[in-house]
Amino acid sequence: MSLRTRLASAWRRAEAAHDQLFVARWRQGLRREVRRQEDTLRALVMLESLGVDNPVAYETLDLVPYLVADLHAWHRRMGQESFGDPGVCC
Amino acid sequence: MPAIVVALVVAVLFYLGYRYYSAYLAKNVYALDPAFVTPAHSMRDGVDFVPTNKHVLFGHHFTSVAGAAPIVGPAIAVFWGWGPALAWVVLGTIFAAGVHDFGALAVSVRHRAKSIGTLAREVINRRARTLFLLIIFFLLTLVNAVFAVVIGNLFVANPEAVLPILLEIPLAIGIGQYVYRTRSAALLPSIVGVILLYVSILLGQLVPISLAGIAAEDGFFTERNIWVILLFAYTFVASRIPVWVLLQPRDYINSHQLFIALGVIGLGIIVGFDRIVAPAFNDTPEGSPHWFPFLFITIACGAISGFHSLVSSGTTSKQLDKETDARYVGYVGAVGEGSLALASILACTAGIVATTADWKAAYPDFATASDGAVGNFVNGVAQFANNIGVPVAIGTIFAAIVVISFAATTMDTGVRLQRYIVQEIAEIAGARTIARNVTLATGIAVIVPLVMALLPGGGERGYTFGVLWQLFGTTNQLTAGLALAVVAVWVTKNRRNPVAVLVPLVFLLVMTSWALIVNLGNFIGEGDWVLAPLDAIIFVLAVWLIFEAAVALRKAWLGARTGAPAPEPERES
Repeated sequence: MSLRTRLASAWRRAEAAHDQLFVARWRQGLRREVRRQEDTLRALVMLESLGVDNPVAYETLDLVPYLVADLHAWHRRMGQESFGDPGVCC
Repeated sequence: MPAIVVALVVAVLFYLGYRYYSAYLAKNVYALDPAFVTPAHSMRDGVDFVPTNKHVLFGHHFTSVAGAAPIVGPAIAVFWGWGPALAWVVLGTIFAAGVHDFGALAVSVRHRAKSIGTLAREVINRRARTLFLLIIFFLLTLVNAVFAVVIGNLFVANPEAVLPILLEIPLAIGIGQYVYRTRSAALLPSIVGVILLYVSILLGQLVPISLAGIAAEDGFFTERNIWVILLFAYTFVASRIPVWVLLQPRDYINSHQLFIALGVIGLGIIVGFDRIVAPAFNDTPEGSPHWFPFLFITIACGAISGFHSLVSSGTTSKQLDKETDARYVGYVGAVGEGSLALASILACTAGIVATTADWKAAYPDFATASDGAVGNFVNGVAQFANNIGVPVAIGTIFAAIVVISFAATTMDTGVRLQRYIVQEIAEIAGARTIARNVTLATGIAVIVPLVMALLPGGGERGYTFGVLWQLFGTTNQLTAGLALAVVAVWVTKNRRNPVAVLVPLVFLLVMTSWALIVNLGNFIGEGDWVLAPLDAIIFVLAVWLIFEAAVALRKAWLGARTGAPAPEPERES
């Protein structure tokens, strides 16, 4: 293996270690922010499932299928072990 | 004595603490189980709950807990001589901080990675949650006030550091945007960013920024006070911006700076072979506060810090791959913080000056010693940097940038957290106007520490670091006391021997209460009717904590003795 190849390999290992140690935490923060915004949208769209009247329920109905997939993780994150509306997810 | 010898002896003691004492804790007190399914697996969501390699997690944990506090406390405490300060850092790290950080992590992992505030409510009772919020409120108020003054003082003393600190903000945002928008490795841009930050020191030397021209010589609008006001205005805005825009990129650069600073100090100590010129026990002048009990609240972070329990239980516990990793991550995290405190002690006793007489001139009395503590650390690090070829002038600005960056990030985070705490306390108190109004809550989070920092007397030497710092230390120790109480109750309920947790808990509560009573007498004697009530309130919180801890421990003890089933409902394997 040439010196150049070995240096390139060492650099890639350093990049991977740096990514795990420093960047992963930062990307985690970004993912958390994305999730926070999605949670807000989900709460608004699923208002009726939470027992709150939603004046725009008809208009947001199309969004429900896109948000149901993560519903279980969402209500657990919000501190509820099971979802209030039976038969929806758990 | 050469600083390197002290550093090596302490390193050996820390290693023995990890090798034997943490093993005892892991086996007999926290009963770690390698087969236990941690929340990182059972609640895996790819964001908060992510199983993480223990070395990587240690890096995350250490960079979260390390900051300016373990630098400031020891830099003040060496006034009593390096002996007491070093002994407390070493013994505190091994027998108190290690137990505390490791324990908070272990108990959180066994309770679905819940935070220490929630655990206080679940393991002790509902009142403990309110107590926790109140202690954190005072802790954040005091730390924000003190750190604003730290930065203000450093800006006044080092106008060359202002420009690099200002440039750090767009630099951090630039790196942040790069990470946000690309998927490529960030190592090279990070290296370039950090190099640019340190190159800006040269720019800072060319363009020093001072407010002396618009500031008054004395009175209210001194240069330092104007900086303090500007800093709080900045944090008001910064705390309203999403964390990923500014706070996290700054934290990202700081985590690099932490390792660079530790590397510079370590290399400087090895290469320079500087001798400790400070006395082991200093003959303090008449009227100085006695090291017993004030040492134990002057050095909080670096010996034991309640803030670590927030990190252990808030984020680290969600990423623990195996329960047995808690020993390495929690205990060595405490050792890392102790090492930072050791670096501060060595900088202020070996790096700062060449002779004992010069050292005594830098630490003539407690007020001067405490007010000049951060400056002494900066000068000491500059000397260590000089040992490896960095000119003293540049080394001084480098050290100032490191301290300012840490303190500023703590303020950013502190004001943001304080906003949440204000809203939560307002919710409990039924003050819905405050609870629902983010701007109002942020305003309270900014105004209260701003007033503390600018109080009449704030300009007097020794006020901020001699008094406010100690009050901050008491709240930090009370937070640690609450976390230790939670851990002790959990250990007792599970019929394991809680002595290893009870000893630091009792020691902390006694020392903190004692110091609060002595300070209360002093404040009343001096007719200080701002600090006396503040001290009294914190003392009431201490008594409340002692009461709650005693009741909960008695209940847990009786439950364990009468054969009530050991509660472990959160166990998931």
